[in-house]
Amino acid sequence: MISFKEIKEGLFSYEEPAGGWVATFKKPTDLLKAATKVRDAGVGRFDCFTPMPLHGLDKAMGLKRSWVPFVTLVTGLLGAALELLYITYIDVFDWPIVYGGKPHFAFWGYIPILFEITVFFGGLSTVAAVIILGRLWCINRKPVAPGITSDTFAIWIGDNLTKEQVENLLSGLGAEITPVE
Amino acid sequence: MSAMENTNSLRIGKPYAEIDNDILKPLETFPTKTWWIAFLVAASALGMFGIVLTYSFFKGLGIFGLNNPVSWGFYIINFVFWVGIGHAGTLISAILYLFRQKWRTSINRAAEAMTIFAVMTAAVFPLIHVGRPWFVYWIFPYPNERGPLWVNFRSPLLWDLFAISTYFIISLVFWYMGLVPDFANMRDRLERFKSKTKIGQLLLDVKKITLRVISLGWVGSAKTWHHYEKMVLILSALATPLVLSVHTIVSFDFATSVIPGWHATIFPPYFVAGAIYSGFAMVLTLMIIMRNVFKMEAYITMKHLENMGLVILVTGMMVSFAYTMEFVMAAYSASHNEQYVFLNRLTGPYAWAFWVMFTCNVVSPHFMWFKKLRTNITVLFIISIVVNIGMWFERFVIVVTSLHRDYLPSSWDMYIPTFYDYAMLIGSFGLFFTMFLLFVRSFPAIAVAEVKADEANEELAQHH
Repeated sequence: MISFKEIKEGLFSYEEPAGGWVATFKKPTDLLKAATKVRDAGVGRFDCFTPMPLHGLDKAMGLKRSWVPFVTLVTGLLGAALELLYITYIDVFDWPIVYGGKPHFAFWGYIPILFEITVFFGGLSTVAAVIILGRLWCINRKPVAPGITSDTFAIWIGDNLTKEQVENLLSGLGAEITPVE
Repeated sequence: MSAMENTNSLRIGKPYAEIDNDILKPLETFPTKTWWIAFLVAASALGMFGIVLTYSFFKGLGIFGLNNPVSWGFYIINFVFWVGIGHAGTLISAILYLFRQKWRTSINRAAEAMTIFAVMTAAVFPLIHVGRPWFVYWIFPYPNERGPLWVNFRSPLLWDLFAISTYFIISLVFWYMGLVPDFANMRDRLERFKSKTKIGQLLLDVKKITLRVISLGWVGSAKTWHHYEKMVLILSALATPLVLSVHTIVSFDFATSVIPGWHATIFPPYFVAGAIYSGFAMVLTLMIIMRNVFKMEAYITMKHLENMGLVILVTGMMVSFAYTMEFVMAAYSASHNEQYVFLNRLTGPYAWAFWVMFTCNVVSPHFMWFKKLRTNITVLFIISIVVNIGMWFERFVIVVTSLHRDYLPSSWDMYIPTFYDYAMLIGSFGLFFTMFLLFVRSFPAIAVAEVKADEANEELAQHH
């Protein structure tokens, strides 16, 4: 059985990088190795920053499965149910007119509208979920390192580690390590 | 073996920063002369559109060639034509994504933009065709003070409203969310720019603030990408049945009526195939122009153009099949009205329109069988335009030939479009191309993050 905790963990994972260290790389392979090392070292607070989505990075970081599709399903079905109630109220109770001898409650005739409404609510809630979960309303957010939207790959380590510890952790990957305010 | 080589050839093999420069640099400079000329032509056509539209509001629909049997004229033809054009964008962004067709990456952004602008252009026509556009909001079923007076939820025309508005909104957010990482890239690139003049600095600041707002503070966190990738998958999965539903419902506008020539069960798949056919032809036209004007040969390669040519061949044959089936069904229907309508299409006063459609849509795609022709840009460009002419005439044939001779011979009449009809047709191209030209100048016309993702993930795959 799916627990509420599992859904919550699969949705609210984002954390603003504050304090700690950031290491930058020029190659996606190095970042993937770094993410695996950081995860295996048992670092609790860390995140990666990449200009493009990388396959396998979620596994390397040990991210929980994203539950965004769950939001889509729930909102989509909820939207369709509300629309069906609304149409039923209109066609059966508020304005019962006979069209072409058909019953007032014409379920088959409502299917196109119900489908569109499901897609409408499902789609918009998915986008809203990504905006809310990634806190994409904070428009003044500063990138943790220059170039992470262009050609630089970065990993942020938020746990209380010294620079030596971070250097040891990422040794041999050619990382450039700087502190984060 | 050759198939493997083809997939590999899609790799660009440039450093990420260079890909950024290739695509984003043109947006940071002043537009070229070619762009200005194209823009002025499109904007003039748009101006004409605006003038005729305003005039029609004062004079009414009487200025157009509509008459009693042919109550759906150019307006509905243009509406169906433009909605159909839009379908290719969603096919490329959603359906080809689900089928993991890598070649979609570099054309999907512009194709999606085409979808949005085409749907916007299409939406103008039914809004005016209702006769009193200032009451057009009455079509939304909101609790109102008029009774309340409700809409008919069983009417395909209402389904159409729901389908087109959902399609537009979902396409718009899908497109916008795809742009966010690229906007963030543009925002960060702009940091190093400074202007010498005061006005220049002001404009630059406006640009910086706008980009900061529309890029939503995107920094590319892996945790956000994780949700984002799921969102792309979900939106593709939603947009796929959505795009099929849109032209299906547009075809219901015709098919659920009892007009011979419209009342056919083949209409939904026939319309969807036709929409993808004309849409791909339009994408091909736009991509050939775009890659030449903006020097994007490295991103929009011959392979892309060839693949689009093949899609045109396949959908063209589907459309040809539907044309043929319509005649078979009419011949087999034992209905005199049905048989007469199709005979009238072949030999009646509008036979020329039918034969234009037939030549353009049934004959021309077969040139795509030959590799030499489908890898020749001039041939592809001509075919893409010919197909769209044919697809416009297809809607003309469906609307006009079915209506102009109805059940009662005494009410038969000819449909003769007026100057205003033609002006609206040309003007609609002005509206579409003005928006598209503004798009290619101000937004990244190739999805930079997605192109780089293909490059990076290929590199990762080689290491494992």
